Amino acid sequence: MDVTSPILEVKNLTVEYSAETNSVLAVDRVSLQLGRHEFLGLVGESGCGKSTLCFALAQLLSPPADVIDGEVVFNGRNLIHMRDTALRHIRWRELSVVMQSAMNALNPVLNIGAQMTDAMQAHERISKKMARARGGELLRMVGIDPIHLDSFPHQLSGGMRQRAMVAMALVFTPELIIMDEPTSALDVVAQRSLMAQIKALQREFGFAVIFVTHDMSLVGRFSDRLAIMYAGQIVEQAATRDLFRDPKHPYSRGLLQAFPSIYGPKQKLQGIPGRPPDLRFPPGGCRFHPRCPAVMDICRKEEPGEYAPGGDDLVRCFLYAREEVEHSKLHTVR
Amino acid sequence: MEARGLTKHFRVGGLFSRRYLHAVDDVDLTIYPREIVALVGESGSGKSTVARLLAKVYQPTRGEILYRGQPVTSLRGRQTRDYRTRVQMVFQDPYSSLNPVYPAAHGLLRALTLHRRLRGGKRRKEAEQVLGSVGLQPADEFLRKYPYELSGGQRQRYGFAQALACGPEVILADEPVSMLDVSIRIGILNLMDDLRRREGLSFLYITHDIASARYIADRIMVMYAGQVVETGPVEDVLAHPRHPYTQLLLSAVPDPLAPEIDESQIDLGEPPRVVDPGEGCRFRWRCPHRISECDSVSPRLRIVRPDHQIACHVDIPDWVQPHVQARGVDEPDPGVLPADATFSEP
Repeated sequence: MDVTSPILEVKNLTVEYSAETNSVLAVDRVSLQLGRHEFLGLVGESGCGKSTLCFALAQLLSPPADVIDGEVVFNGRNLIHMRDTALRHIRWRELSVVMQSAMNALNPVLNIGAQMTDAMQAHERISKKMARARGGELLRMVGIDPIHLDSFPHQLSGGMRQRAMVAMALVFTPELIIMDEPTSALDVVAQRSLMAQIKALQREFGFAVIFVTHDMSLVGRFSDRLAIMYAGQIVEQAATRDLFRDPKHPYSRGLLQAFPSIYGPKQKLQGIPGRPPDLRFPPGGCRFHPRCPAVMDICRKEEPGEYAPGGDDLVRCFLYAREEVEHSKLHTVR
Repeated sequence: MEARGLTKHFRVGGLFSRRYLHAVDDVDLTIYPREIVALVGESGSGKSTVARLLAKVYQPTRGEILYRGQPVTSLRGRQTRDYRTRVQMVFQDPYSSLNPVYPAAHGLLRALTLHRRLRGGKRRKEAEQVLGSVGLQPADEFLRKYPYELSGGQRQRYGFAQALACGPEVILADEPVSMLDVSIRIGILNLMDDLRRREGLSFLYITHDIASARYIADRIMVMYAGQVVETGPVEDVLAHPRHPYTQLLLSAVPDPLAPEIDESQIDLGEPPRVVDPGEGCRFRWRCPHRISECDSVSPRLRIVRPDHQIACHVDIPDWVQPHVQARGVDEPDPGVLPADATFSEP
């Protein structure tokens, strides 16, 4: 396997929830690249399609949702329409998923050890004894005393359950882990400790991570790159530091401006007026235009393409389509 | 509004169990007119229980609540109803706090009928005025809508409208923004600040998000395991946190510009034991500054700076947030846009 090639390449991925009237494009022509060992933060508000995107990447969509266009190339193989038997060898062994509210995904009537053994035996021939030993080792790695192999989920705190889920995802040391808001049910202290743990494990094992969250400040510390999603589309992609220093898309700017800080002088904030669109009736032109402070005529009529004003970054906004906009316009938003 | 020695224990286990969960222990609290007090702590620290005690949902195990100098526990009949008119709650989850089978205005109109004795055209007029004051306009349109037609932010505004309809003086807001999307949270916070300025309301703002507490509150109370561990003016507490738990909370606030931390030293964030905790500081198992006294004596609140109290035996040197110093307090947060690029309301 080529080490320099990206581990995951998503091209033009489009997912539709079909309905008799008004089908919804929850993921609309999303393209992404993820390098090996890379930590990508996928940020967006509820209903922007970020969870649907995760499901599509792991090929876990069920009707009425379906991929209607695009490719998901993982380690050189296109996962879209791959047969279940073939997917089985990839899932969990090479690509694992930690779901949202994963702490409630544990089976309440089986102890942690039994659940881990179960997963291992489903994907690999391994003796119970071996599986248990490995389970204990994994728990220790995520900071849980292996004594809890015999504990039931209700005996663990929320933070410990989330850690246990991360341990389960690590069973076969996969090359990519997709995490869908794994920390959203935890308070700040537990949240930080889980993030640091994930980062440390990533350094040790070198897997790539797609970390989905609605809280940009959370991934700011840990991710290499950020992708901001709005109404089914990725509106901006850039290196984390660059995006925080110089957010380009008006939506990214709004998000960064939307939460108060405990540092620096107090300032009055406005948030972003309005609300995300109903995807059954997406606004014409740019999807952000009804809420955008820098809206121009063209935004109402045409859909912006992806522009790369800085080279490595991608922005879906007419402000950065140089030919079409005179420079002064750009300065009014800056 | 004032509470003294407020305590609530819940019995856990079977019918004859003698084990008690100390949800709230010995909390003193004062809310002045036009003041926003933030109550901050991790989940399970007892902050919601405090709100429910103040709203008379629970009876306190010990301690008393005074409202305008009058003990609330002694109120009877009409007076109780009057108290409930004056002290209103707003809940965390705007998706489950509105009845889905009625128009969203149902609760609002009932509040006007029951608490204000308004009917017909007068009631409607008042309802429109209340909806206008929480930013739901055009009001006559919002009066007809059902909950499923509203977004999360609009639902939460309805929650405030319902509380406002009663004509309250104090609103107990229990995590009103934690279920909302990041981009609309600030709108609700600004609404609370507005209501304080325009209508002269007081708020108890319960949250686990310190940054939002700083944004609107005048005073802050930090709770841990049912007890208040630090309290004072919000800027003073955040600039000079003296209790080790407050310091831990502050250092855990996600901020992309905070300095790298030693990952092996990170506190696991395990919750404290609150079933029959016994004597001694409840934070001692997680505390880096633990001394022998902490095991045997529960610390009481003591004054460390003007109006600023902590419950800790140890005098920890003033803690300086590392990167505030590095960046200089007066420099604007680099993550934030300059002030001239504002998002205006449509």
